Amino acid sequence: MASIQLNSVSRIYGQGASAVHAVKGIDLQIEDGEFMIFLGPSGCGKSTTLRMIAGLEPVSQGDLLIDGQRVNDVDPAERDLAIVFQNYALYPHMSVRQNMAFGLKLRGTPGPEIESRIAGVAETLGIRPLLDRKPSQLSGGQRQRVALGRALVREPRAFLLDEPLSNLDAKLRSVMRTELIKLHRKLGTTMIHVTHDQVEAMTMGTRICIMRGGEIVQVGKPQDVYRDPADTFVAGFLATPPMNLIPARIEAAGEGLAVIAPGLSVPVPEAYRAAYAPYTGREVILGIRPEDLFETPEGAAPAAIDCSIETVEALGPETILNVKLGQGGSELAARLPAEGDWEVARQIRLFADSLRMHLFDPETTRKIAR
Amino acid sequence: MAHVTTMERENRRFGWLLTAPGLVLLAAVVLFPIVWAGITSFFNYSLIFPGYDDFAGLGNYAKAADDGEFLHSAWITLLFVVAVVGIQFVAGFVVALMLNDARRGKTVYYLILLCPLLINPVVVGLMWRMILHPTLGIVNWLLGTVGIEPVNWLGAPDMAFWTVVLVDIWHQVSFMVVLLLAGLSALPAEPYEAARVDGATPFQRFWHITLPMMKPVIVVTLLIRMIFAIKTYDIIYIMTRGGPGVATDLISYFIYRRAFVSLDLGEACAMAAMLLIVIAGLTAVLWRSMRQVQD
Repeated sequence: MASIQLNSVSRIYGQGASAVHAVKGIDLQIEDGEFMIFLGPSGCGKSTTLRMIAGLEPVSQGDLLIDGQRVNDVDPAERDLAIVFQNYALYPHMSVRQNMAFGLKLRGTPGPEIESRIAGVAETLGIRPLLDRKPSQLSGGQRQRVALGRALVREPRAFLLDEPLSNLDAKLRSVMRTELIKLHRKLGTTMIHVTHDQVEAMTMGTRICIMRGGEIVQVGKPQDVYRDPADTFVAGFLATPPMNLIPARIEAAGEGLAVIAPGLSVPVPEAYRAAYAPYTGREVILGIRPEDLFETPEGAAPAAIDCSIETVEALGPETILNVKLGQGGSELAARLPAEGDWEVARQIRLFADSLRMHLFDPETTRKIAR
Repeated sequence: MAHVTTMERENRRFGWLLTAPGLVLLAAVVLFPIVWAGITSFFNYSLIFPGYDDFAGLGNYAKAADDGEFLHSAWITLLFVVAVVGIQFVAGFVVALMLNDARRGKTVYYLILLCPLLINPVVVGLMWRMILHPTLGIVNWLLGTVGIEPVNWLGAPDMAFWTVVLVDIWHQVSFMVVLLLAGLSALPAEPYEAARVDGATPFQRFWHITLPMMKPVIVVTLLIRMIFAIKTYDIIYIMTRGGPGVATDLISYFIYRRAFVSLDLGEACAMAAMLLIVIAGLTAVLWRSMRQVQD
């Protein structure tokens, strides 16, 4: 097991004016035994960061430490990490058994121990009947298990998983997600999992590291990041449908304040007034999660929203309504119970729990602290 | 039997219509000479008395199989093929590996390497005959400047064979480089990265990853080169005419001599048919290997 520390780590491709900063001086501490998720859109630098940890990409600037030891110049073989690639990277000419044994043989592990480790891992992953097959004879899910098995037999200090579930179909992905969670619980080994799938991020990790443009935007426990997004990017990236972000203004309303947008007026709860008061008369971005919109008044400070239904997505256990606020207003998504009877173009009234609203500064996109 | 729609039938007819001129031309210039040579091989057909009056059956084949000169040519050809293909493969693979890892100037190296391949074999032969000329050649002049005695490159039997081998290697090695480099470029990068993390050294990665993954490409490349090496004719004709003596008398040149110097066309055709069977066998193996590469 290992703790991994990144101190101002950068990865720069090219030189001079044409240099591309794929990772820009990130700082991150991954604790021993943690299941860390690197989450972000394509090109955000998450895979590059993982590859730097694996030793497959050089660290251009900064320090990379494993168990407190600087490993910037240490060969991947000597870092004692195992990586599972997105397309599995199995050795096509070797059988499953040979694939799993390869790394152990190179490290001089005795034959009987190799056999016993392969048998144990094959049993755990349910790939015992596949041991003598070639990768070309396996399905995508089986290859994924073999790739995982090849990493497991090594018993490394940490596992690096580079989008290993992205090539699987939805059902298998869900199964493998659960298996990876169980495996982490059983082994207790440090795992770093790269993904752009926010469901994987929310369900698998002990912490999420959200990246954008080569920088870390926010690190935290999945629920913390979900409940308290650092900026509009995180708010819009996590969950499907994402948080509704509506351009609005804070105005004085009687003795209090209200967030005003075309077709919308949400009174600011007393608890938030002091924090939002400096923004009176200024533009803000109002954030409301789809599940914080209700058919009936809920919460301590409900605000009514009149809108018309644009589309209805009946998902079975719930329904997603896309609604439009008044004249020239924004479009919102609302996650509502499945039982409702909704028709497109019908005028309805929804209620937002104003205690659960978020406000963001439009200039910095950062959340306004309250 | 699958149902063929009218549209499919019309498409097929149109396809045949388009390929017909090419097929007629191929039949005239390839199929006809092969069939003619095949028929001639069963007759005692001489260019002094051309005609199909004297049917020999398999006599020409039996004579060829018993002909010491023919067997010597076959043996020399086998040595030539093993030498040129073997050396070209090793040199070509080394160069292809280096080019595959080159970060800068890859295209320039590639173009330079391709130059010999673009030169006509006759020109190659003439060029090297001048370069290796015992008294006027630049190679012997260069050797003389460092005090080495002139070498009779094409005049001494042992030396002539290896000279021809080296010229063929110079001419054809880039073919190996091109094919092997294409194979290397197409290899996926991920298994190498997995092997690095697994702890493989560069040599272990070459031995355990590159070689096995390149096997189908290597087999195809070797077979293509073998087929072409067996048929080598131009360089021999220009550089040595099979000599000195019969030191470089490769089988294609030997068959040519039997047909157009000895004028014994019947036996020459039988020898050509035997050579054709060997090449057809290699082509069949090549075909199967290429199917495996595709799969």
